[in-house]
Amino acid sequence: MTARMDEGTNALEPSASVETRLAALELAHQHALREIAELKGRDTLKTQFLANISHDLRTPLTAIITHAEILRDGILGELSARQHESVAGIIGGGRRLLEMVGEILTYARGAANQLEIVPTEVAVGDVIEQVRRLNESLVARKELCLEIQVAPEVPHVWADREKLAHILGNLLGNAIDFTPSGGRVWVHATARHESPRDTVLVEVGDSGIGIAADHHELIFQEFAQVDASASRQHHGTGLGLTIARRLVELHGGRIWLESELGRGSRFFFTLPTQPQP
Amino acid sequence: MTKEESRPLVLIVDDSPHVTGPLRILFEETGRRVVVADSIGSAVRACEAERPDLMLLDVSLADGDGLSVLEILHGRPALPAVTVALTGHDDELTVQRCLAAGCRDVLLKPVPVRDLLRHAAEWLPERIASA
Repeated sequence: MTARMDEGTNALEPSASVETRLAALELAHQHALREIAELKGRDTLKTQFLANISHDLRTPLTAIITHAEILRDGILGELSARQHESVAGIIGGGRRLLEMVGEILTYARGAANQLEIVPTEVAVGDVIEQVRRLNESLVARKELCLEIQVAPEVPHVWADREKLAHILGNLLGNAIDFTPSGGRVWVHATARHESPRDTVLVEVGDSGIGIAADHHELIFQEFAQVDASASRQHHGTGLGLTIARRLVELHGGRIWLESELGRGSRFFFTLPTQPQP
Repeated sequence: MTKEESRPLVLIVDDSPHVTGPLRILFEETGRRVVVADSIGSAVRACEAERPDLMLLDVSLADGDGLSVLEILHGRPALPAVTVALTGHDDELTVQRCLAAGCRDVLLKPVPVRDLLRHAAEWLPERIASA
């Protein structure tokens, strides 16, 4: 391949005839097209591999978690306090791993354009409350102040309820994760009159560590974490925001952030209130 | 009816022992009988031969769409009184497809054991032993 490229490069020298240079350009063009096709093929294979492996990882994880819950619930006999603690650790770790595998699967489906949404009229406040409840224990453990505000005039959104919960879960999870103990986290929803469709604007904010301006685009890219070092303090798949953006865009909405290092972050996204005309 | 037969019968349809193994322990230890099937064909045969009270059905089986079991048994006495889908995906499309096929409920694997036992109590009214 290198030899062919060198050959093409020499033929492009000004001393070569116009015909030779045109032929060399055409050769290089064909070569580039083949390379692109090959890379696309490999990318598709990688995405399919991710989807398959994520799906297959779920099954043995199901066994680990269910067996451990059978033990925890005393179905095979009462456990001592320490045994209970140990089994609870297996369940906690298993459920966390399952969440991460689920994120990779969602990402792989998104990358392969296999994510579909089934929108209905959804009360955004109900979904915020559902996600708040899921994160209640984490908020309490970090002694965070979580404030929810849904303006009374906020209309229903036209969204896939489960995907909306996924978006909110990822954003709120990040806000909690990146905010030191005793900090503030909030979720606000307001109505916005926009053309061609009215939207609801959801803000998920925190008083946490913040993100430098030159990282605002990077964090939406797959597998990206601002601190990618092995010693980083915040762990995860690095897919949460990529998935959130893809899901928001599938609904025809927008997602962005306002943040400064050390001054917290505010993530915003919009969702339509009506089906697309 | 013997005392053994008076215990409700659960048919678990899944092609992975990782799924059927713990569920068998769970239901047997909580007073139910369990039969396992790993394909559409074996599930249909188990329904015809055993007449389970509850079928827990994986929608994705090695030999095809698990919901075919419901289609094949539609309108026949071998159709279990309650079928519940156990799936790896609880997206809206899957949920709607399972409900339309006749599933009472759709649960995402792994279903928390406490939820499964609570649901099972609703799905499986205790039989009255006549033996």
